[in-house]
Amino acid sequence: MIEFNELKKSFGDREILKGLSLKVEKGEVLFILGTSGTGKSVLLKLLVGLLKATSGSIFIDTQDVTHISEEEFLPIRRKCGMVFQQPALFDSLSIFENVAFGLRKHHPDMPEDKVAARVKECLSLVQLSDIENKLPQQISYGMQKRASLARTVAVGPEILLFDEPTTGLDPITTNAVNELILDLSRKLKTTSIVVSHDMHCAIEIADRIVVLDKGEIVDQGTPEEIRNSQQPLVKEFMSEVVGHA
Amino acid sequence: MLNTMTFIITDVGACLMFLKQLFRTAIKYPISSKIISEQILKVTQQSFGTTALAGFFVGAIMTIQFTLQVKEFGALGYLGGLATSGTIREVGPLLIAFMLSGKVGAFTSAELGTMRVTEQIDAIRCLGANPLSEIILPRFIGIIISSFFLLLVGLFMSIFGGLLLGLLFSGISHEEYLRHIPTIVSGWSILSGTVKCFVFAFVLAAICTYKGYSTTGGAKGVGKSVVQTAMATMVVIVLADWFTSFLGDVALTIFMGE
Repeated sequence: MIEFNELKKSFGDREILKGLSLKVEKGEVLFILGTSGTGKSVLLKLLVGLLKATSGSIFIDTQDVTHISEEEFLPIRRKCGMVFQQPALFDSLSIFENVAFGLRKHHPDMPEDKVAARVKECLSLVQLSDIENKLPQQISYGMQKRASLARTVAVGPEILLFDEPTTGLDPITTNAVNELILDLSRKLKTTSIVVSHDMHCAIEIADRIVVLDKGEIVDQGTPEEIRNSQQPLVKEFMSEVVGHA
Repeated sequence: MLNTMTFIITDVGACLMFLKQLFRTAIKYPISSKIISEQILKVTQQSFGTTALAGFFVGAIMTIQFTLQVKEFGALGYLGGLATSGTIREVGPLLIAFMLSGKVGAFTSAELGTMRVTEQIDAIRCLGANPLSEIILPRFIGIIISSFFLLLVGLFMSIFGGLLLGLLFSGISHEEYLRHIPTIVSGWSILSGTVKCFVFAFVLAAICTYKGYSTTGGAKGVGKSVVQTAMATMVVIVLADWFTSFLGDVALTIFMGE
């Protein structure tokens, strides 16, 4: 279980998160929606220790991770895999080396044949094959996103964090990635937190949706509850879904 | 003006903190010698030709300038010694370091800056590795070693360039050119030039890795980092040149009573 308590984060004078409290249950697929600059990505980065909170606390399975050191975060990061807004693949390494990177760091004693088998397995999970020897710049953006997902999954995380996984993708690849998220969450039995602008896909695949505005939660509930919400921002987001229909 | 001063002081402080963190990481984490070797090879390959060419012409320019001066006094025999001494002690390391700052410094800063803004550095942390030991330290050490080596190559080429131009432009024989080099170019001059090469290589590695690693703000931020790297390395190299010359003079006075 993940728990954020009265979490605040400021950059200089700008307060991004204003005392946010939220619980995420084990195995849940939670979507966090909101307009740009409301602190959605900041929330994920605080969870994996890429940023430090100004105040408040974050618990992962009863362990307080709010102020722990970079070294203490290593086992936490084995538990929490993050897929970034950009593919963030290392452009000097092949796709194989990219996917194997985290595996080799977290499991330095793993034999190379097992690493190779795991890489292949993870690439096939995201429906990629025969691209192991290519460099990231030699494959399409959508493929890079999926390879990035494979790299995160390879480590075997219990929690998957997605930072706007479908931004910049065409509608077909967007659907494929959304299906992948749901598929992976169910197959690997992971807890998933997805930060997104996309209400349509949130309604389709989320167990619960949280709507953020200016660093605060303005509404939360099941897709059905969100669909019937009277909150103005949620209604605005919902109009997008009606538009899709 | 006040804002610029505040920015410079903050930036210098942040760079020193970065170096402290880097040294701590070097002590704590193992660094792959394979990656360091790759970096040395990469930087050397990238800049060998231009450094050798620049070195050659630095020596050539020095010889031409000294020829004009010494000819008036009928002291052409001292041309080789004076031009080589000036090149080794001062002009050679400085000009070649400027050239390397534009090439190696800008490249490294842009490469690391792009890794930062495309979240590759965050990804390294999330995948259980330390970006300082994984990507910064190998580059830092690689740049110091290869820049030091390149600066020495540049110096040798400058001596060669000076000799060739001496033969072609000044009309003296190679024996005459070389005769006074051992008397004017002392061991102290060579030591001074070598120390400067090392200091400039360190300055270059420190500034370009720091600027690249601390990049923010997308493509514009990468551009800004590259410009700041070029500016900062040139200014700090000049300051380091003055400082090492000053320290050299102090050391000469203390140890040799000159």
